[in-house]
Amino acid sequence: MEANSSKKKGRISRVRHWCSKHFSDVPLLSWLIGAPVAAVLEDFVGTPLALGLGLPKVPVLFGFVLMLKKPLLIPSILIYMILIYILPVVVTAKLTAPLFNRLASKLLNVSGRLSVVIHLLLLYAGLHLWSSISAYRLLTLKLTLIAVMVTLSLNVINGYMGEFSCSHPGFMALGAYGASVFTVLLFVNDKIFGPAHLPAYLAPYMFPIALILGGCLASLGALAIAIPSFRTRGDYLAIISLAFMFIVKSMIENLEVVGGPRGLSSQPDLAALPIVFIWAVLCIWITNNFVRSTMGKALNAVRDNELAADAMTVNTRRTKIIAFLFGAFWAGVAGGLFAHVLRYVNPGTFGIQKLAEVLAMVYFGGLNSVYGSILGAVSLSLLSEMLRPLEMLKWIIIPLLLILLMIFRPTGLISFKEFDVIKLIQPRNNSREKS
Amino acid sequence: MTFFFQNVVNALQWGSFYALIALGYSMVYGILMLFNFAHGDIFMVGAYIGCGVATVIITLSSSGVIVLPHWLILVLTILISMFLTSFVGMLVERIGYRPLRDAPRASAAITGLMIGIILETGNLLLLGAQRIKFPSLVHSTTYNIGGVFVTNKKIMIVVVSIGLMLALDQFVRRTKYGMAMRAMAFDYVVVPLMGVPINTIASMTFAIGSALAAAAGILFGIAYPVLDPYMGIIVGWKAFVAAILGGRGSILGATLAGFLMGFIEIFVAMVFPSTLRDLIAYSIILLILVFRPHGFFGEPYSARLRL
Amino acid sequence: MRKLLVLLLSIGLLCLVFTPVSWGGKNVIKIGINAPLTGDIPKVGEGTKYAAEMWLEDINKEGGLKVGDKVYKVELVIEDNESKAESAVKANTKLITEDEVLVIVGPQASKQAIPAGEVANNYKTPMISPWSTNPATTKDRPYVFRGCFLDPFQGPVIANFVTKEFGFKKAAVLYDVASDYPKGLAEFFKKAWEDLHGPGSVVAFESFTTKDADFSSQLTKIIKSGAEFLFTPQYYNEVALIVQQAHELGWNKPIVGSDSWGSAELIKLCGKDCYGLFFSTHYASAGAKGKTKEFIDRYKKKYGYVPDDVAALTWDSLGIVKTAIQNCGKITGNIEKDRQCVRDAMAKIKEYKGITGDMTFTEDGDPIKCAVIVKISDKGEFEFYKSVCP
Repeated sequence: MEANSSKKKGRISRVRHWCSKHFSDVPLLSWLIGAPVAAVLEDFVGTPLALGLGLPKVPVLFGFVLMLKKPLLIPSILIYMILIYILPVVVTAKLTAPLFNRLASKLLNVSGRLSVVIHLLLLYAGLHLWSSISAYRLLTLKLTLIAVMVTLSLNVINGYMGEFSCSHPGFMALGAYGASVFTVLLFVNDKIFGPAHLPAYLAPYMFPIALILGGCLASLGALAIAIPSFRTRGDYLAIISLAFMFIVKSMIENLEVVGGPRGLSSQPDLAALPIVFIWAVLCIWITNNFVRSTMGKALNAVRDNELAADAMTVNTRRTKIIAFLFGAFWAGVAGGLFAHVLRYVNPGTFGIQKLAEVLAMVYFGGLNSVYGSILGAVSLSLLSEMLRPLEMLKWIIIPLLLILLMIFRPTGLISFKEFDVIKLIQPRNNSREKS
Repeated sequence: MTFFFQNVVNALQWGSFYALIALGYSMVYGILMLFNFAHGDIFMVGAYIGCGVATVIITLSSSGVIVLPHWLILVLTILISMFLTSFVGMLVERIGYRPLRDAPRASAAITGLMIGIILETGNLLLLGAQRIKFPSLVHSTTYNIGGVFVTNKKIMIVVVSIGLMLALDQFVRRTKYGMAMRAMAFDYVVVPLMGVPINTIASMTFAIGSALAAAAGILFGIAYPVLDPYMGIIVGWKAFVAAILGGRGSILGATLAGFLMGFIEIFVAMVFPSTLRDLIAYSIILLILVFRPHGFFGEPYSARLRL
Repeated sequence: MRKLLVLLLSIGLLCLVFTPVSWGGKNVIKIGINAPLTGDIPKVGEGTKYAAEMWLEDINKEGGLKVGDKVYKVELVIEDNESKAESAVKANTKLITEDEVLVIVGPQASKQAIPAGEVANNYKTPMISPWSTNPATTKDRPYVFRGCFLDPFQGPVIANFVTKEFGFKKAAVLYDVASDYPKGLAEFFKKAWEDLHGPGSVVAFESFTTKDADFSSQLTKIIKSGAEFLFTPQYYNEVALIVQQAHELGWNKPIVGSDSWGSAELIKLCGKDCYGLFFSTHYASAGAKGKTKEFIDRYKKKYGYVPDDVAALTWDSLGIVKTAIQNCGKITGNIEKDRQCVRDAMAKIKEYKGITGDMTFTEDGDPIKCAVIVKISDKGEFEFYKSVCP
């Protein structure tokens, strides 16, 4: 057994070594250019290739759904994945590496911001092309991006500040309803809110205002938790936030104006992929700056020892209140996007089930880490879509996976790691320079 | 006036469930400083085990293998189910909590949550989607005391749960193990160094908590004889609120807070329009915590999270 | 690494050789089922799934579905919506764009059917929700239909029935505030009752929240209010608890219910407490005749229990789907055209003879159907008592 496992380990490390030997000099820019290439390839030859390999159509989420339904097709799916995704990306990345290393360093010299924008544009191009093939992919992608925002905003409170807040579904609900009421009131002929007050062409411009309004509403709600948090924390705050979640849900159920338990529908179709993408990027960028600022360090200080932090001139009250308002704001924005992606909200969505989902994403990805939140949200969202064919067994496998992860990596996949954008986008030709 | 007393009786019954379940949370929380979010689902498993045990005993009894009087069937069901469910609790501790004892507390809370989901789905897979009727262990008789309707079930439920709480109190106070538990609750780091076997005590804590949950499950089954795999979620979370509200590791606190939750829910629905019940009930709890930030019996210690 | 690649490629080539080239493709009609297999109401999902599988069995026995002069194989794509709104939307999107189904049957509960209907309508895919009674599901959505009557119809039916049968003046209502079906029906009933007996004739209008088990406080209030009967449009599992607790609190007046009572499990869970009570529903299982009886007997034999109304309605909805596809005349293989054709054929269906009654769709895609008042007999069977037509 032991010999076997060590052999396995040896093989893994050999693969890792092989990878680092051949790909350590590939900059992010090259990888990102590979993504649109693969997506374009899929656009053009995906369908014939899939049919040729005996697949019914282009595998939608990396073929997982199909693999679970028809295990006989696994080899075909693997070949498809290699031919369409892995090979083109690897080849493009490797081929363009020398050129793009130079480009990346030049860009970085001109302006870091510009470089970031170009990277993001490439990423967006990849995602856009990838998701344009199927509406289901598009929907999954949008909801995944929203999940990233929610997870990240909860990580600010639970990870960076070290509270155990259970109120995020409540914040999302406030944001979702706030933004929905705003857009439905202004732009939709609704039987509850009367005719549209503004012409429809203004709607896309007003949508950010709607989202910010939703976020602010959520922040306002967060005061109900932030103020008690001055005097208590940890466990007691956990149940305060839990009570808050129940209160929000019950309140919306009793508000006939917004449809009560029947929910609110007919939101205008404003949350297209670029909009969701921009908000998600904004959320990641601002949150990352927030947690890397002195404010973020103050959060960590409050988490590690409140008394000591106070003694070291950290204004703990201010820190706490800002963290709660900040986290709630982004949860509210995410809620607003969520409502406009589904174009329907009901209070039942924002209950215990949602809470378990968001908490799982935060702790799966990793505490105190922007990377972790992104990874956690993306992997759990995709996983729960990919395992769909398993029906009930899905809800055994995902929890089991999480338990195992918690046992072997108690703080999550990538925890306590700083998200350094410049380090990420810089050229990777150091090794050659050294030699 | 009868209206008021009728609701007192209602609240006593409803509160005893919260109190019994909250005790399980409170034990684990007080001694190991962990949230056992699987507890609501252990309650559910306890109710199902109780249902199975009761069915077996009743079948045996009615087929004439061993003829037992009614009260003995009830007592046997409760005892056997408590015994069986305590193993479920120990298993949960062994799988989900022992490997994580030195990890951040929140991680253990997540494993608890996930074990809960596995228990629910596992039940759904094993027994299918239909709801199960809890066999009638007590023949319901209604007494009319001056306009207040009281059933023998209600009396039995309140008496049995208070009895169990007193027994737990005595156990923790009088026995060697109880002393070890109190010591662990007092200092989690040093006491194990004094030769107190931490694993045994942790297992025992979970076992006792789960046994109480099983008793609550059976009493719940007697009062509300419809079982489904998701029955433990809401009751569990509310009992969790009660456990924390009672103060860390305080048996009296958890009991009182459990009854308080019951009284708040019943009386809010009595006084206000019942659509607003949750809204008002939780606002009251939120207000209580704003003014008593450490619950009823918890000492205002600075809960430093081990993150 | 290279060896691995070669190995994979060769396996792939082998697969290519062995996979049958005709991968179904044009000769298959796919029908999507969007059902809550997990989550709050797994029993509803189970009923849906079983009814659909039984229906497919029939189709397969005939060798396929005959459209025009060609016979097509029918494939069911069953998706779990976890009883969540967002999941129902995802499932519908997947069914429409990935699996390219021709028609969708489901989701059952209104909270999933309303948002999912939006998706189906946007993609111009016909969808029929067998069980959703909320008006919003089909409103202004030409592609969305339903298989049951609506709440605004059922509320007055019950109000009229009680007035005529018992001559009562004062009503009490107990319902779940967090679930849209009971809440909607409770409100329609209240309105209908007050139209009949004047404002204030509903003397108690009490509520609770989903998953509650204790209703003693609300019931105590209802008893105090002096109501002559209690109307509770709840699901059967809650009904068992409500009825029993009401009796324990000294209530001995009638309790009346709605179509959500109509499950065989009600009697199993509720026992003698429920005997003699009335409720309105889509069909009565005891004493059923003809096709209805045939369906009930088959279902019972196969799965071991009497089918709920969900199963019966799903069965009828699938029957309507089948008729619509056949009326459409031919399947072109162009999915968009076919969907349009099926939608038009469905809207034109006149007096479809289903096991839950005759159905003709209105402009909105809602059937005009009769409701049945059922009495629970002393043997615990659902006996036909009266039929009320619009």
